[in-house]
Amino acid sequence: MQINAEKSWSKNTDHHVKKKRRKFSTEFWMLIPSMVLLAIISIFPFLYLIYASFMDFTISFQRPEFIGLGNWIYVLSDSLFWSSWGRTILYVGVGLGLQLLIGVGMALAIYHLPKGKNIVVTLWMIPVFVAPVVAGLLGRYLLNSTYGLYDWFFSLLGMETQILGDTMTSMPAIILMDVWEWTPLITLIVLAGLNSLSSEPLEAADVDGANYLQKLTYVILPLIAKTIVVALLVRSMDILRFVDKIKIATEGGPADSTKVAGYYLMEVAFKFQDFGAGSVLGITMLIVTIFLGQFFVKFMMDKQ
Amino acid sequence: MRKINLWFSAIVMFMLFTLMACSSGEDEQVDVSSGDDENINPDVQEPAPFDGWVEGLPQITAPEGYDWKQFEGVELNFISENTPPSSAIAANIDLFEEVTGIKVNIEQTDLATVVEKAGLDFNAQSAKYHLVYADPYQILAKQSDHFFDLNQFIDEPTVPQIPGGLEDFPASQLEAAGYMGDKEELYTLPYDNPTMVLAYRKDVFEKYKDQFEEEMGYDWTPDEDMTWDEYYEIAKWITEKAEEGVITEVEYGTGHQAKQHDSLMNDFSNILAANGGDYFEKGDLGSIGSMDPGASAMDSEVAVESAEFYNKLLEVADPGSLSWDWSGVAEGFASGNIAMIPEWHEFSAMFEDESSSNIAGDVAWTTLPKGKERKAHMYGGTGIGINKYASEEEIKAAWLFIVWSTSPQAQYMILKSDEGGSTPTRNSVYELEDVQKGMQPGTPESEEMPNLLAMEATLKAWEPEYAYMRPKIPQWPQVDTFIFTELSKMLAGQQTPEEAVNEIAEQTNRLTNK
Repeated sequence: MQINAEKSWSKNTDHHVKKKRRKFSTEFWMLIPSMVLLAIISIFPFLYLIYASFMDFTISFQRPEFIGLGNWIYVLSDSLFWSSWGRTILYVGVGLGLQLLIGVGMALAIYHLPKGKNIVVTLWMIPVFVAPVVAGLLGRYLLNSTYGLYDWFFSLLGMETQILGDTMTSMPAIILMDVWEWTPLITLIVLAGLNSLSSEPLEAADVDGANYLQKLTYVILPLIAKTIVVALLVRSMDILRFVDKIKIATEGGPADSTKVAGYYLMEVAFKFQDFGAGSVLGITMLIVTIFLGQFFVKFMMDKQ
Repeated sequence: MRKINLWFSAIVMFMLFTLMACSSGEDEQVDVSSGDDENINPDVQEPAPFDGWVEGLPQITAPEGYDWKQFEGVELNFISENTPPSSAIAANIDLFEEVTGIKVNIEQTDLATVVEKAGLDFNAQSAKYHLVYADPYQILAKQSDHFFDLNQFIDEPTVPQIPGGLEDFPASQLEAAGYMGDKEELYTLPYDNPTMVLAYRKDVFEKYKDQFEEEMGYDWTPDEDMTWDEYYEIAKWITEKAEEGVITEVEYGTGHQAKQHDSLMNDFSNILAANGGDYFEKGDLGSIGSMDPGASAMDSEVAVESAEFYNKLLEVADPGSLSWDWSGVAEGFASGNIAMIPEWHEFSAMFEDESSSNIAGDVAWTTLPKGKERKAHMYGGTGIGINKYASEEEIKAAWLFIVWSTSPQAQYMILKSDEGGSTPTRNSVYELEDVQKGMQPGTPESEEMPNLLAMEATLKAWEPEYAYMRPKIPQWPQVDTFIFTELSKMLAGQQTPEEAVNEIAEQTNRLTNK
């Protein structure tokens, strides 16, 4: 009886494995087109990036020479690499911080509006529809020392400052351009989170006699924390990569004060056409982006 | 799982082999003859049917029997910096398209983008751009291998030739714009020729002439004898008098294109070269160019002195200078705030245009001041060349465009264009009577061709002893960036002039020995 049972179990298992294999085989073949596409648009460029980081393209792009760790040593020993990352931390940290504060504040304000929410949201969202290049151009024109509106306004106040020509003010100006353009996106995402909030916890807090600050701190913000993290995740990846405004408004200057890692990468890869060093910079940027993404994802999972 | 890994590896290997196969393409031979050799008589030249030719200019011709419409339907893409000549060519492109049937799409953008796009196109060998505005220093020096050798057309009797021949181009401009490393291959033909000279407000200099002479003891009118020390003295005097309210027409004595940009290198080079300095110890890298520049000369005494002077000069300049490139300083000058600026001569048209300038009619031009060794004027001319990865038909069609767009009649048309115009790269055009008259202020010709107002100074600046051509080397985009970045840090007070030039030398040597 026991032998029969074992045989039966073995038969069932074999059948199950075969069935699974057959099923797996079908799934595998169905996945092939998407895997090939993924390889073309993602895996292959990534492998090529690693290959390029060990090659010297400066003499000939068609016949690059293998130089081992030459590009890595060149880039990692360059003080500009480290200083550009220092400025990137400042740019990302302050930029995201401001966008978070204003974006969440605005979302809360709009959420509590008794009426006219749609029109306010539409108007508030306008900067997001402006191309980053146009935002940079707008900033450059408004801050132009010859005919710029803001420059004229500051001169009326007796402030003779060259905002884009001064190392102290150029980075804040670039950060504010980014804040102006992308804060509404954070508002929109957070507002979606607020609108999906269940009313029970808030009603319970009301019953307990909580004031608005207490409700915000202990109920609303914890409930929309995941939404905020999603917004930060999206923006942090974009802010690292987007250098359009810097390219248009300051070109990394004055005195390198706005040369962030993304701009430096663009300069090395496309202006200098040094694809070897550019690949090293690209890989470092990828690593930082992955770590940053992982940090936010982990934070989100912990909240779950 | 092992099966999946095998499949994955196979796909990756296939792609790598594909890439290697794609990237090892050999140069193809192009037959540049007209293709209809039997009906062509190279001994008899017939005028081309292009409008715009005037008596006195060499005419575009083709061998008898040449079919100008043989490339009808071919579409060419031309990428160019957004400069006046390309705007003028774009506005008048129908003159070329009607005769040849070739469609030319002209993409105009800033120089940095042209450098990026052309570089990527060359490296991909895709010939998205058939015609390239080839800045000799940013593009040609690094990418000369990707240009088609125009000598093949010049040696081919069955196709239209360069009207007036290569001799009609100023020799120094042809060398700088057309060749790289040696003169065996001709990659481009000169297309524009901006050169830095001095623009100043003649109304201000006339009004306060006596007062300045009384206080400082000499005639301050900018002329060929002016030195950079005098320039500084005059600029400082004007700025101080403007602050005191004595001078009301302007606020500052001088303005500069001192943004962290290529323009800063150009502006500084006028002073460095005038003092006898250069960027590399190996001299004369500016005309034919070299693949091996040798050691940097920026750690020299003259480089330190020049940087110290430039730093001092910027202290009395319009503070907007730190955020201005060539367009920015031109706008500052045109607004009426500044008394004098070193500027590219092609901005003359903008200064004389009342819709964009408050100082139309008040601007005069002269050569830049003298330094310790000589006068030096940065030359910024460019040629146009053909992408060698284009098809045979496209290369032949592109040659027709080059012949036409660099011809004396097209250059004359550009000069007279409403688009702002540029000054011709052809000697023969400057011999025309109306062009000669246009160089004199107040003539109807100067109103019609306002860029000519800067030409007397510019023609002087083109003389070999007065011209300065930056090093034409493959590493120039990087070296240029080192120069303007370190100078920008100096102007921001982050380092001394000596530290700035030493840093430039160190970075340059590190790069060239990489």
